[in-house]
Amino acid sequence: MTELSSIHRRQALTWMAASASVLSWPLTVFAQSRPWADTLAAARGQTVYFNAWAGSDRTNAYLQWVASEVQTAFGVKLEHVKITDTADVVKRVGSEKNAGRHAREGTVDLVWINGENFAAMKADGLLLAPWAEQLPNFAKVDTVGKPTTRNDFSVPTDGQESPWGMAQFTFFADSQRLPAPPQSMKELLALAKRQPGRITYPRLPDFTGTTFVKQALIDTVADPSVLTKPPVPAELERVTAPLWRFLDELHPHLWRSGRQFPQSPAAIRQMVADGELLLGMTFNPNEAANEIAARRLPASVKSWQFARGTIGNTHFVAIPYNARSPEGAQVVANFLLSARAQARKADITVWGDPTVLDLTRLSPQERAEFPVQALPGQVATPAPTLPEPHATWVDPVEKEWVRRYGR
Amino acid sequence: MSPHPGWVASLLLAVVLLPLLSVAWLALESLNNPTAWWALWTAPQTVSAMALTLWTGLASTTLAWWISGWLLAQGFIRHRLAGMTRVLPAMLATPHAALAIGLLFLVAPSGWVLRAISPWLTGFEFPPPWPTTQDPWGLGLIAALVLKEVPFLLWTAATQLHRDDVRRRWQAEFSLAETLGYAPDRAWWLVVWPQLAPRLWWPLMAVLAYGLTVVDMALVIGPASPPTLAVLAWQWLQDADLAANAQGAAAGGLLALLVLVTGLGWRTLMWASWRPVDGRRGRVPTRLTDDRTGRAGGVWAWRAILLIYGAIVLALAVGSVSGVWPFPAMLPEVWTLQAWITVWSSASTVTDTLLLAIGSTLLSLLWAVAWLELVPRRWDSALRPLLYLPLVLPGVLWVVGLYGLVLWLRWEGQWAGMLLAHTSLVLPYVLLALSPAYLGFDPRYRHLAESLGRSRWDFLWRIKWPLLRHALAASVAVGFAVSVAQFLPTLYVGAGRWNTVTTEAVTLAAGAQRSLTGAYAWLQFVLPVLGFALAAWVGRPRRFTVPST
Repeated sequence: MTELSSIHRRQALTWMAASASVLSWPLTVFAQSRPWADTLAAARGQTVYFNAWAGSDRTNAYLQWVASEVQTAFGVKLEHVKITDTADVVKRVGSEKNAGRHAREGTVDLVWINGENFAAMKADGLLLAPWAEQLPNFAKVDTVGKPTTRNDFSVPTDGQESPWGMAQFTFFADSQRLPAPPQSMKELLALAKRQPGRITYPRLPDFTGTTFVKQALIDTVADPSVLTKPPVPAELERVTAPLWRFLDELHPHLWRSGRQFPQSPAAIRQMVADGELLLGMTFNPNEAANEIAARRLPASVKSWQFARGTIGNTHFVAIPYNARSPEGAQVVANFLLSARAQARKADITVWGDPTVLDLTRLSPQERAEFPVQALPGQVATPAPTLPEPHATWVDPVEKEWVRRYGR
Repeated sequence: MSPHPGWVASLLLAVVLLPLLSVAWLALESLNNPTAWWALWTAPQTVSAMALTLWTGLASTTLAWWISGWLLAQGFIRHRLAGMTRVLPAMLATPHAALAIGLLFLVAPSGWVLRAISPWLTGFEFPPPWPTTQDPWGLGLIAALVLKEVPFLLWTAATQLHRDDVRRRWQAEFSLAETLGYAPDRAWWLVVWPQLAPRLWWPLMAVLAYGLTVVDMALVIGPASPPTLAVLAWQWLQDADLAANAQGAAAGGLLALLVLVTGLGWRTLMWASWRPVDGRRGRVPTRLTDDRTGRAGGVWAWRAILLIYGAIVLALAVGSVSGVWPFPAMLPEVWTLQAWITVWSSASTVTDTLLLAIGSTLLSLLWAVAWLELVPRRWDSALRPLLYLPLVLPGVLWVVGLYGLVLWLRWEGQWAGMLLAHTSLVLPYVLLALSPAYLGFDPRYRHLAESLGRSRWDFLWRIKWPLLRHALAASVAVGFAVSVAQFLPTLYVGAGRWNTVTTEAVTLAAGAQRSLTGAYAWLQFVLPVLGFALAAWVGRPRRFTVPST
């Protein structure tokens, strides 16, 4: 009986909340600009379901640390919802919207996101109104030196996602087997011809696989400036022709003659560890160092980036429009931006994910928390970061790749 | 006291049929989308994926059926069935995904098999670039399916052979055939097998449907480009694009059609081959009647299967504590407990797995016993095909319907939704496992009890259920194992909030981190095995002690 009446009350409440948010935009904006203290107060006791890719136990362990920190400091309960593909979350929030779910009726409070997934959620109105740049810790973000913290694959973030970490496309290999690593796609092709069957990249639409192809696109395209804008359908074929010529030439020399591709960069890493493949690739410049520290890769593994630079980007956290605990989610996002959390994340023995902060804006004590000396497996000479092509390039390139090589 | 078929039966039926039919309806409704079917038809991978699905599904089912029949013959003739069935539960309990992951640890280019013979035999200093994992021909998937389905078929056959009403008759007929001068093998194939095989029709269909529609195993060990149709459907269902989702549902519908067509085709073939030919009960494949090679081969094949299972469990265990492990070393260079520490730190994964499995199994058992006890036989046989719907419908299609129902009930990501999802898939297996013994229970016991003035409850509690203890415990173990092994519904209906050892193992297998994958896969294997061990202990034959004088 009591259960029944509480359900009625809850439905009435959510209905009221929902109609309020639908009817009055200004109200929502007002809610966003409330002082931080109000957000902290509202967040206390909330449970935040953080949907984050869980393919790495280091990331998972880091999030467990975050969970215990925000629980003690802010009374926010953080639940890591382990997912394999962020597109799954985009889809789920989309289904919830189609099923008529309103504000505070969703299953996702915070999502680890960037690129085309962010672009899709933003375009479909699946995100909470701007909040990220009002976070107290956002002031320390290096928005000038790391412009990708406000520009996600050439899509402006507009405060609908908060930067979390930096990534740059990086290769790694056992230096005993590969003393002179390839410095461009052309050299990579030459290496594949010399040692057939020992190189591969993850099958698209895997994120790292897509990045490999985008890197090849940047390296082969005649005029890289076309990549900063959405592709013009009529020009697409002409612009991408050199890319497909390059891949057509490369594939016969890849692992399993390029007829099959591993599902993930981690699969490639395991094969590098076993000696089945020559080189691996990752978006985390410190991944090889991590794996050496975890004793899953031999200490002779070294990381490098192409001499002319590789693609880099920022990964973010976003809050869906229907989050049940938007305040708690903001408190978590703000904590993730704190010097303490960023320094711990940058620590090789923890995760090794580069920070989004501007170290010069931190206090000396805060700066001292960040690691200084290089460890085995880290990139010795960092190369320039090349901007991601506009997010809208991903879809046609992936579709064409699947059509050509995905059979 | 007579059974009252009226309202109790209707109630039991409604409890299961309402959700069952709504799920089926929602699943089928998602298929009413001509654009999606057209997109499916024109998608570049559809046709080759479909061909792969038919090949792997039919080849694995045929092989599993043939090997099972052959092993059963050897076991029956040499009175070894009891010995074989003793180890079956452990094999039966091994979840599909764990088996596939373990098999991968063995046959991969850097796996144990090649390590064992390198470099002294092969000359390999590095793993060879051989396509032994996720091979494009689906051989690995077929091998994994066969390894998993043979124990299942043997076990369902054994439950038939243990039935009181048939065991004695078949044994007598077999002996009679022998006295008439038939060789034992021939007597089996002519007398026992033709009576046994039709009773294995539904288990066989479950095997066929599973082989055609499996996702978790195919993700781990199946071909990757193109994958099988079920994996393709699953990938489309997970796509952010709603049109791709509809295409995935349509692919699920296509899978259902494939199951139906191949099932009917199989049935026709079976009828044709079991029709009495010139007065005989069945036709005997001449090859199988060769006594000596048949028997020696039977022992060899059975030992090979046991050996592979043992090696898989060992490979998972060693893999779970491995650090740096360069080829071709037989054992890791660095040992680490890191993976198990990670498992320990997310203990809720294990408790969630257990609670879900226990909850869904108990619900299923209660319902199944009530159904078998209270519902008239003719209702039961008429409704069986409907009750087995979740077994036969492709998993990818079933979760679409389940998700629709759960979304409508607002149960997504909730305990209730998970329980519903798991129970809907556990129930048919519990019913399947319990029916033979339950329906074969000698009715004379009841007549005797009634003539002694015992009430129905008294009879059930003191005679029938204690006597059926073995079957009841075994069906609980089956239900438990089925729930533990669920991958698609846990991920889809659980809104990603529920992690079980299976979702962890399969997710990690895609990430290919050997130690943690090994740890979860090993756990995934151990939980159901413990379930079966417990069932065996509960269901052990009663020993009557004779008081010493």
